[in-house]
Amino acid sequence: MTRFIGRYLRELVNPRYEVRAFIHQCYTIGYSSLALIGTTGFIMGLVLTMQLRPSLIAYGVVSQLPVMVSLAIVREIGPVISALIFAGKISSSIGAELGSMRVTEQIDAMEVSGTNPFKFLVVSRVLAATLMLPLLTILSDAIALYGSYLGVNIKGHTSLQLFFSDVFDALHYGDVMPALIKTFFFGAAVGLIGCYKGYNSSKGTAGVGLAANSAVVASSLAIFIIDLLAVQITDLLGLN
Amino acid sequence: MKKNTNNDIKLGIFISAGLLVLIISLYVIGSKQNFFGSNFYVRARFANAGGLVPGNNVLYSGIQAGTVSDIEIIDDTTIEVTLLLNKKIKPYIYSNSLVSIGNDGLMGNKIINITPNSTPASHIEDNGLLMTQSGSNMDQMMQTLSYTNENAMAITSELKETTTRINNDNTLWTILDDTMVAKDLIASVANLRASTARINEMTTTLDLILKDIHQGKGTIGTLLTDDDIANDIQQAVQDIDRVAVSAEVAIRTLDSTVQQLRTGMTTGGSMAHTVIGDTAAANSLKRSLQHIEKGTDRFSESMEALQHNFLLRRYFKRKARNEKGKE
Amino acid sequence: MSITERYRLAQMVHTDGPVIKVSNLKKGFGTRVVLDDLSVELSRGESMVVLGRSGSGKSVFIKCIIGLLKPDAGSIHVLGQDLAALDHDQTDQLRSHIGFLFQSNALYDSMTIRENLEFPMRRHRNTLVREQLDEHIIKTLTNVGLAHTADMMPAELSGGMQKRIALARALVLNPEIILYDEPTSGLDPITSKEISSLMTGIQEQYNTSSIIISHDMSCVKRTADRIMVLLGGKCYAMGTWAELARSNDDNIKQFFE
Repeated sequence: MTRFIGRYLRELVNPRYEVRAFIHQCYTIGYSSLALIGTTGFIMGLVLTMQLRPSLIAYGVVSQLPVMVSLAIVREIGPVISALIFAGKISSSIGAELGSMRVTEQIDAMEVSGTNPFKFLVVSRVLAATLMLPLLTILSDAIALYGSYLGVNIKGHTSLQLFFSDVFDALHYGDVMPALIKTFFFGAAVGLIGCYKGYNSSKGTAGVGLAANSAVVASSLAIFIIDLLAVQITDLLGLN
Repeated sequence: MKKNTNNDIKLGIFISAGLLVLIISLYVIGSKQNFFGSNFYVRARFANAGGLVPGNNVLYSGIQAGTVSDIEIIDDTTIEVTLLLNKKIKPYIYSNSLVSIGNDGLMGNKIINITPNSTPASHIEDNGLLMTQSGSNMDQMMQTLSYTNENAMAITSELKETTTRINNDNTLWTILDDTMVAKDLIASVANLRASTARINEMTTTLDLILKDIHQGKGTIGTLLTDDDIANDIQQAVQDIDRVAVSAEVAIRTLDSTVQQLRTGMTTGGSMAHTVIGDTAAANSLKRSLQHIEKGTDRFSESMEALQHNFLLRRYFKRKARNEKGKE
Repeated sequence: MSITERYRLAQMVHTDGPVIKVSNLKKGFGTRVVLDDLSVELSRGESMVVLGRSGSGKSVFIKCIIGLLKPDAGSIHVLGQDLAALDHDQTDQLRSHIGFLFQSNALYDSMTIRENLEFPMRRHRNTLVREQLDEHIIKTLTNVGLAHTADMMPAELSGGMQKRIALARALVLNPEIILYDEPTSGLDPITSKEISSLMTGIQEQYNTSSIIISHDMSCVKRTADRIMVLLGGKCYAMGTWAELARSNDDNIKQFFE
């Protein structure tokens, strides 16, 4: 795995970039996941708001609802939920796709056709995953906050302007930046693990299924480990 | 190929939307924290930062004006807080504007309040130091509140008592209603002073007489060798001395009371106000009057005693005669 | 100048001598030796069939030739160039003269047929105009009889059609050498006959040399100029169809029964 990452980084900077493949992957990995991740984000925002509301009423700080929800969503729930959904969708599909390409000799065929399959398949996918997940997370956060706004308005009433004013009052660069930065790592982990499992899958149809499955398991776990590291690092840097 | 172009357009929209949301959010957050636009810094020093952290809001008369940018320990009793303020409010901040640490709601974040001062002063410069007011920190607030409550309770009960007393006491009302009382009091004091002076004079004379007697001058001298008589005289002299002292005390007390009454009158508050407002003053006035009464009583008593003393009777008679003669 | 001419021009350099020269090739996986001291030559325009039982190292042999596997010992010269001495770019350059037909076709199933055929040409795309490229691809597809499938996806095609597309892709750069890995496996006898005819037709049309791995004796009979029997990692026997068919050796006879 370490060698795989090393090779990825080497091939990433080596010239002859597979721009077209990269753009295509951005589309399949990024754009195609938007609906799914947006929907989960919306529901998370709505549900979180409605769940928090009674507790906040109990403490008499229901006006702090936008603050709590925005911090929860932007700092943790948005990035992690998006990344997990992303891992489920992308890591498995990459694992299965590369696995089947390996099994049906498509990877060899690329090699024979004078195309570096690592660059064409792995680098483009990992890079696309690395760059698309943050974008998806940002949009998902925005949609989640809108969901939260609707959640606030189911029971009470707050204007959109006041809600977002509260939200942005609560947020600081120290909340947004670490959350944003860690999504890059989430994305890279999902892409790398999916590619690694697929690229090195064993021959046969069973190998493909195994590659897809273990890619999802490993990348979901990796997301939580990275999250744990990220919170330690932000804590050490005093960004809390 | 057409499908590819469509996908590219969708991807483009997707990426632009994401970046747009990011940039707008960062801009809004940044402008809330005053990272953009023209700003300036001012400083303020506190003894206790009270949990203030960089990024806390700064309000100028209740308007969002900037954020706390830095907190630094200068020494063990001084914390310097640097405030990042919007240039727009610079014309309204003067070098004597007051900075205090407050709370944004009961549970909310700490905030810095800048309050304008009524007295005129020069405009603040960049990085200028503003005056601070020790703000209300939550614990202090609570402590003060309970203390205040106790006080309020005590005050109200005392006030009730006082009011009842005042209402039932006609003399006080008479005194309070009549500003002439003050003048009378002053006159009394003057009189008392004169009396004391006379007592002093008398004592000296008495001393002289006693010296003469001691040296056995005249027939009286011989008579005075008798011990009993000598003791009597000594007793009398001591009495006179004591009276003089207590008179002095009475005068001083009275003096201060009068002084208080006078300031009460001159500062515009009515005398009644001063007296009611200050039970201590009322008490001391009462006490003073009692002292004076007692002092003068004792004095006249002593004088009486001296006059009845057969040895000095002659002296007093002569004195009375002289005074008559003068008149 | 057509694309065909362009590629031919590049190939003029290597007209003399054998197109493939393998000497003392050794290749093993772990402790298992697959190819042991194998030496063979392929002349221009010749098509050689490699016969052998499963696991006898036929696929390994041609994968070594194309450079997908590195030999443990021995040397391979393709078009006069030593594979071991080539860097990555030179290997790519050399590979553009070799067509490879994979056993499983290895069509990129996320791409259309057209894109599949364009894929090997990506490296040269910037020198080609769109129209030329299209024309060339349609021409190649016509040669395998499937011009109408250009915008379909591989999954929409039957096994035989996929095989032909795979062949078209192997041909798209007008290679001098084509390596066939079991070209007729998994196909019905009629289709496999069609493919075999196609292979011989191409042989004539493109004037290629080829190495064919096959178990399908009807295909072998149709396509082979020469047959090599691979046994125990060595060249066990070599000869024409007629020669080997007459052989009394049990190991050879079993293929021809």
